[in-house]
Amino acid sequence: MSTRIVVDWTRCDAHGLCAELLPEVVELDDWGYPVLADGGRVADDLRVHALHAVSVCPQLALVLKK
Amino acid sequence: MTAQAHPDQRRLLRGISPAQPRLDHVAHLRAHGPIPSAIRAGQTDLLDHAEAVDLRGRGGAAFPLARKAKAVRAADGKALVVGNGSEGEPASRKDATLMLCAPHLVIDGLELAAVAVGAREARLVVGDDLARRSIAEAIAERERAQRPRVKITVVGVADRFVAGESSAVVRASSGQAPVPRFSLIRTAEGGVNGRPTLVSNVETLAQLAVLARAGVAGYRALGTHAEPGTGLMTVHRGAGAEVFEVPLGTPLTALLTRGALAGSVLVGGFHGTWLRPGTASRTVLSRAGLQEVGGTLGAGVIVALPASACPLVEAAPVVRMLAAASAGQCGPCVHGLRAISERVSALAEGVATAEDLRLLDRWATLVSGRGACGHPDGVVRFVSTLLASHPEEVAAHRNGPCGRRLLHLLPLGG
Repeated sequence: MSTRIVVDWTRCDAHGLCAELLPEVVELDDWGYPVLADGGRVADDLRVHALHAVSVCPQLALVLKK
Repeated sequence: MTAQAHPDQRRLLRGISPAQPRLDHVAHLRAHGPIPSAIRAGQTDLLDHAEAVDLRGRGGAAFPLARKAKAVRAADGKALVVGNGSEGEPASRKDATLMLCAPHLVIDGLELAAVAVGAREARLVVGDDLARRSIAEAIAERERAQRPRVKITVVGVADRFVAGESSAVVRASSGQAPVPRFSLIRTAEGGVNGRPTLVSNVETLAQLAVLARAGVAGYRALGTHAEPGTGLMTVHRGAGAEVFEVPLGTPLTALLTRGALAGSVLVGGFHGTWLRPGTASRTVLSRAGLQEVGGTLGAGVIVALPASACPLVEAAPVVRMLAAASAGQCGPCVHGLRAISERVSALAEGVATAEDLRLLDRWATLVSGRGACGHPDGVVRFVSTLLASHPEEVAAHRNGPCGRRLLHLLPLGG
């Protein structure tokens, strides 16, 4: 079963914390907004980092979806 | 704008003529007849019929109506139906035309959809002022004739581009600003004020009203086997727009002469596709037909530019308008579309560098799929196919302006 990171684009304000905490999944685009690798799929060993990224996003713009 | 069509093959626009541009309730019943009582009473499941003719959404997304409606019917809570007549696409006039000419067919469809999903209440979201008046008048005409079976509320929205998007229509119907929303919950389960909601384009609803009367076999008498029935098309050739109703599968040459198709042709509107040169004259108006030439039918908008017009010069202000039409909620759309529009304008003016073209390529990939609605994806499709379909024009503009004036042949709306 795979877990995915989903971005609420209406909330995201390009703070960029997600890219620092979860560089395996998140890169930043030319304007600082997240670009998700592989549709945002999170490998099991990265789940705890993904949860961390979701919880510290200042805009609460990330959702972890099963 | 006129509401022409091919005689005898009109269903939605049946009975419309210059002498009778709008069917009131009496004229509507005379032209279309009553709805069969088995369907009225809900004994025959109209959604099964919709499935049998594969009735798809006519707002652009072409999603199967029955699948959406059955999900609403199965969901817990007080269901609601929302007719989407906001027609945010500036180049489309078919929904406004339909509501102006045949408002009762739209209301029939709204009532039938409500009965089919078990809703007592419906909303009709309308952008165009005259269309809104026509619909309000039609509701009053019906109330004088019979007790309404479904309570219909008309919701006005400014006919802004992104206001037509389904989740924006849900928000408008919930009394919020008509901008797209982000949600992991399907509209069918939690739409307007959290209620199970069926959002359907007004032409789709009118098609449902035609199907209710014609039955599956009757409905299949026009169109192709895979895509039965008719469709409304907004056609721009030179100044102004005309709305036609044609059987699906009609060749594009039935609406535009080969001469008119000699220049650049845009299909599907401003979220649509520029056809490659030479393909327009063999294009067939159906989802399959457009797919064959790399396009999408979208909401049925067709724009034919004369060969004398420069497609890049004509398109540049549209891309600027589209960038400005962003609801301003999603970063990739706000920044990406602005950046794309600046480079397209530079290209049209003959001052774009090789680096600008490389960036256009990069941003097209970067912006797609990263927003709460399909606006950025649609604009990228417009720009990418514009450049891909006009390689000689793009190459020529690398050496400076082409000298052709902006003729304002693409409608900017507003």
